[in-house]
Amino acid sequence: MAERLKPVDVVTVGVGLTGAIMAKELAALGLKVVGLERGPRRDTSPDFQSPTIHDELRFSVRKALMQDNVKETLTFRNSADQTALPLRRWQGFLPGTGTGGAAVHWNGQTYRFQPVDFVYKTHIEKRYGKNFVDPDITIQDWGVTYDELEPHYDRFEYLCGTSGKAGNINGKIQPGGNPLEGRRSREYPTPPMKETQYGALFRKGAEKLGYKAYPQPASTLSQPYTNPEGLTLQQCVFCGFCERFACEHYAKASPQTVILPVALKNPNYELRSNCQVLRVNLDSTGKKATGVTYVDGAGREFEQPAELVLITAFALNNVRLMLLSGIGKRYDPRSGTGTVGRNYAYQTVSSVSVFYDEDTRINPFMASGSSGTVIDEFSGDNFDHTSLGFIGGAYVGAIMTNGRPIEFHPTPPGTPTWGPEWKKAVARHYNHTVVLTVHGMSHPTRTNYLDLDPTYKDAWGLPLMRLTFDFPENDLRMSKYVTDKTVEIGQAMGGKTVVGAPRKGPYTSTIYQTTHNTGGAVMGNDPTTSALNKYLQSWDVPNVFVIGASAFQHNGTYNPTDTVGALTYWAVDAIKNQYLKSPGPLVRM
Amino acid sequence: MLAAGSAMAQGAARPADPKRGAVIAAQGTATVPACAQCHAFSGASDSSGAFPRLTGQPAPYLAEQMRDFASSKRDSAVMSPIAKGLSASDLEDVSAYFAAASGPFPLLAGPDAAIIKKGETLAREGDPAKGLQGCNNCHGPDGAGFPPRIPYLAGQYAEYIKLSLTMWKSGYRKNSPNVMKPVADRLDDQDIAAVAAFYQQIRNSTDTAQ
Repeated sequence: MAERLKPVDVVTVGVGLTGAIMAKELAALGLKVVGLERGPRRDTSPDFQSPTIHDELRFSVRKALMQDNVKETLTFRNSADQTALPLRRWQGFLPGTGTGGAAVHWNGQTYRFQPVDFVYKTHIEKRYGKNFVDPDITIQDWGVTYDELEPHYDRFEYLCGTSGKAGNINGKIQPGGNPLEGRRSREYPTPPMKETQYGALFRKGAEKLGYKAYPQPASTLSQPYTNPEGLTLQQCVFCGFCERFACEHYAKASPQTVILPVALKNPNYELRSNCQVLRVNLDSTGKKATGVTYVDGAGREFEQPAELVLITAFALNNVRLMLLSGIGKRYDPRSGTGTVGRNYAYQTVSSVSVFYDEDTRINPFMASGSSGTVIDEFSGDNFDHTSLGFIGGAYVGAIMTNGRPIEFHPTPPGTPTWGPEWKKAVARHYNHTVVLTVHGMSHPTRTNYLDLDPTYKDAWGLPLMRLTFDFPENDLRMSKYVTDKTVEIGQAMGGKTVVGAPRKGPYTSTIYQTTHNTGGAVMGNDPTTSALNKYLQSWDVPNVFVIGASAFQHNGTYNPTDTVGALTYWAVDAIKNQYLKSPGPLVRM
Repeated sequence: MLAAGSAMAQGAARPADPKRGAVIAAQGTATVPACAQCHAFSGASDSSGAFPRLTGQPAPYLAEQMRDFASSKRDSAVMSPIAKGLSASDLEDVSAYFAAASGPFPLLAGPDAAIIKKGETLAREGDPAKGLQGCNNCHGPDGAGFPPRIPYLAGQYAEYIKLSLTMWKSGYRKNSPNVMKPVADRLDDQDIAAVAAFYQQIRNSTDTAQ
């Protein structure tokens, strides 16, 4: 029988990026906040120090920092006519665990979405007409605008110390930045990362074709920085062990380096690690959460009553917890009704390999997680799609993050995949190849969704979440188009051999393609097609907020984290200034 | 031979000549005293703290420090005039000589085991309360160094390590504003004494000579 604990004001499920921000902000108001984290507590010192952390086999291949999928995983299938099977190895995406979550092992690539992303349906219909988009695609407006989020993007970037060059400050285009970006209110907190050799080669090729290259916005910092919370980050040393690893150097923005220590110093905040939340408990009306039930590291079950429940467990776990707890109506893809589980999206990525002669040395091992050079001309709706037969786009750039020995061995087509000839080719091309990234949108469809698996269960006996996903044809057409354009850039870069590899269907979970899982508990203006209102508050259970990329109606061109951070501060604001003063639904229909 | 070296300095990227560097180390040049007078011919210097151990340091690191002395980016009343008096080839040659040299470690009285242990923790783990990463992250396993740019600390004299950290902390040494200065700022006197004591007594088999 679960032991019932003393009630608190706020409980957060998960102490990653969103949970840590919520913790600090609400504890600072004097509220009693409990953070439940299913994984262990970890800190830069001693847990992330080198040489231990620079172990490619352990962390990159064997995923030592990731969610323990022996205890809890997902099942996956491409379409409803298949049987979903559990993901026994993380390959396609890598959910985090432990304090800091995935924001410990991320790369630090910190892009804002575009203004049109937030009013995507309205924008696309206005520009191309109501019948332009494939009928299967279920894009909607988000319920919040870029202008409303801009101060929160700014706040998040200054929390992280993001290194970059503004391209548009209050409408005035700035040289050196991205001229196509949405307006920002001020410059980045630190200057851009040093441009790498691969970045410089890309810049030359792209500028030859008339594109405007700019430095990738990086939360791996270009110089020491003290953030508004009083925490200091250091200058990135380009060690090449960024994604899948933790930073030993305090140079990567993670909850541990930018905010969690402040929350932990506040006696109003209590972190409980190794605590697996089983469900959010609702009262008999089903419209009010009374708290959560969790199991601690010793296997003991507890009920933690709370006035406000914040689900901050990463996009995928957020949706699962809602499904397990009966918060909101489950999405049914056949009838198209219900909200929890709809509009799951991912990221459509592809690459172009540019092979050089031996006189051109790249030194790929001297890299940071986000020291790239990119262009924006093919992102989102930045180009005219009228005659193209698809919507959406991708950013393009040289954003190589490493030259690690187990993973990085580009070879040209025709190279045997093993044996002495393969080895010769790896040695020949290792230091003379630039791999370009095409990082594109992912449009939601009626048939891509999340629900609970009918067969498989986690270590606590609860149904796993089932992912049904395949690339919409629209996104594959988009990938082909932008990848072809990127091949042209590779040729302009002077590559001896340039090979484009556009994304092809069906989606496979066995090839890594980002951990940018989005949607499933989307925000919006219409309670029949969104699980949350514009403040990320559940339409159905007003004392539950669900914070993360699960709120995205679609996945934009760019990496989600900056937008997740902005939405977190936006929701914090609504909780502080509206909800706490008058608890209840913040949006009345 | 020495004059020919100076004439060749401009623009010529000739490989460094450690034999020529040895002669400069032993005899100096027309305008500068011999390195050996302070650093000993092997570069092993002494433990006073005034003269760092140069033996086996990475050549590019030594050369970079010499260039910084010459430009006064790193300012030293003793080393700056010496570095200014050497040509670009001279300082490449001398750096190559010391990088390849080997020399003895004098017997030095060790401090408290507890101080060494504290230094070991700082070296390997850092200090979470201060947001300080371990020195080994950059300086290599127990201070073996990270060629080409990062010097070894293993076996470096404790008094010299203390002096260097103090110089960074005070702002007097300016040639690592974004890395060593923030590190030094987070160390107090006991931390400095501890890491210095720890590294002085390490005998690391990794040879950093390039």
